[in-house]
Amino acid sequence: MSTVVQIENLRKDFGKVCALDGVSFGIEEGEWIAIMGPSGSGKTTLINILGGLDTPTSGRAIVDGVDVGRLDEGGLTRFRAEKIGFVFQQFHLVPYLTAVENVMLAQYFHSTTDEKEAKEALERVGLGNRLEHLPSQMSGGEQQRVAVARALINHPKLILADEPTGNLDEANENIVIDLLRDLHAEHHTILMVTHASSIGSLADRRIDFSHGHVVPSAPALTAKRT
Amino acid sequence: MFWRLVFQLLRGNSGRLTVAILALVSGAAVISGLLNLELGVEYQLTQQFRTLGANVVIAPKADQPAPESALGDSALMNEDAVLNSVGQITGPSVWFAPFAYVIARANDAPVVAVGTWLDQVRNLDPTWKLEGNWISSRDDLEQCLVGRNAAKQLHLVTGRRLRLQYLSRTAECSVAGIFDSGAAEDNQVFMSLRALQTLADLPGKISLVQLNVSGGPKVIAKVAGQLSEVLPQFQVRPIREVTEAQGALLGRIRLLIVTMIVLILILTVLCVVATMAALAIERRADIGLMKALGGSISRIVGFFVAEVGLLGAAGGLIGAIMGVALSYWMGVRVFDTPIPPRWEVFPVTILLMTIVAMAGVLPLRMLGEVKPAIMLRGD
Repeated sequence: MSTVVQIENLRKDFGKVCALDGVSFGIEEGEWIAIMGPSGSGKTTLINILGGLDTPTSGRAIVDGVDVGRLDEGGLTRFRAEKIGFVFQQFHLVPYLTAVENVMLAQYFHSTTDEKEAKEALERVGLGNRLEHLPSQMSGGEQQRVAVARALINHPKLILADEPTGNLDEANENIVIDLLRDLHAEHHTILMVTHASSIGSLADRRIDFSHGHVVPSAPALTAKRT
Repeated sequence: MFWRLVFQLLRGNSGRLTVAILALVSGAAVISGLLNLELGVEYQLTQQFRTLGANVVIAPKADQPAPESALGDSALMNEDAVLNSVGQITGPSVWFAPFAYVIARANDAPVVAVGTWLDQVRNLDPTWKLEGNWISSRDDLEQCLVGRNAAKQLHLVTGRRLRLQYLSRTAECSVAGIFDSGAAEDNQVFMSLRALQTLADLPGKISLVQLNVSGGPKVIAKVAGQLSEVLPQFQVRPIREVTEAQGALLGRIRLLIVTMIVLILILTVLCVVATMAALAIERRADIGLMKALGGSISRIVGFFVAEVGLLGAAGGLIGAIMGVALSYWMGVRVFDTPIPPRWEVFPVTILLMTIVAMAGVLPLRMLGEVKPAIMLRGD
């Protein structure tokens, strides 16, 4: 297995506040990593830097051989389009686009659109009957499944999921967790931020954060593939 | 996908965009109406001023006796020579007729008898009101038209016979109509030029030629200049009161119209920019998301440029149709005649409105500063 993510002594300051302080770890291809920790511990900051949405103050964050901190604005844009698939807690779908158009939007920014492929991605997440529905016409779980289909459509090297079940009821949470399990089984590399220990325990590894540091005592978990 | 997204943008923000397109349609309607009016106003004014009568007169030079005072040979012009020259210069937008005058007697009272082309009287002075019938043949020797005051003085009504006497000669005609010109012609009797020349025993002689030239002051001056060249022995005189008044009024109306167009353009720009600025703020989260998905700012702004471009073109087209209809109505109300649509108004209005709408892109420049991480966090 090759290393997809290599983080070396990563630091991020927001003014006088240090959000990440010398974080280092690596992620192998096909791994499912759970990042856990209390609010303000630096989890989302880490995801933003790995996703090219933010830049580090110092240190290195290398994703698929690309040092994110060295990219200019245009390079970050291409990096996000080609390497990363995002799944957000708030779903973040464009409200006036249908499910299939939301997926096609990611295709459009990546290269060219393929409506058939976008429909297949939605069918894969169980939304074959919701293709032309607007986000407002779908439940939270369905919206999150659209977001998962959108994250996968460009075959990213890394899926970043920030509290993907945080806004879902139990039934929809299970559906999304099953989807993540399927992706893991297909050897997608997943970095997931979560507060829930029950969900974090499903990952291959759990990395605990506290005050911008990796907590060294966090136990390594055994992969639980079903 | 590009246009599909643009149409969804339009549909998804129909509330705000309705305000923008209303501003564009309103602006375009008034601007196209004014443009149509501006392009048609010269023609309309020309028609209006044309009703004031002749605007060019050809007469013997001033050092010769006044033609109206008597029919002495020295005050006269050769009919064929003058009219042949006038006919070569003038076109279909010019009406003209020769005139000869004599002070005859009728019922022992003096009356000014005018010989002219009776079929052209209406064209030279379209404002005349007539009781009876116009005379359609210029050489009708049997009929004449009598001014309102002359008819009253001579106790004439339509259909009566009028006997005119000049020196030892007499002429008779039947009164075809009694006209009201509101001017000195109300005291005169109009008969065919041939009949008057026979009565005065001056065949082939005329006192002056009146022309009613269609066009602005420049056109009138040009025709007068051409006539002066071919008729150097006569005085060709534009009636300055008419032409100068027409020119001054035309200039003022054009200045007013252009000023209003500029003001309306500015107001429309302000309205569109305000609307698009509000829309840009509303769309910051969408822009942040698009950036997070790998959308470059140029591709994202491309959606909005296409969006406002479509809005501008649609607003311009709808507004242009409404504006042309508006100017048609204004023409009827102001000039008593509709102003026909000028097709060049449509592309000009659509182009102007597209440019105005593009000003709405200016607030979208702030989208370049949107940080996707902040937007997605909801701050």
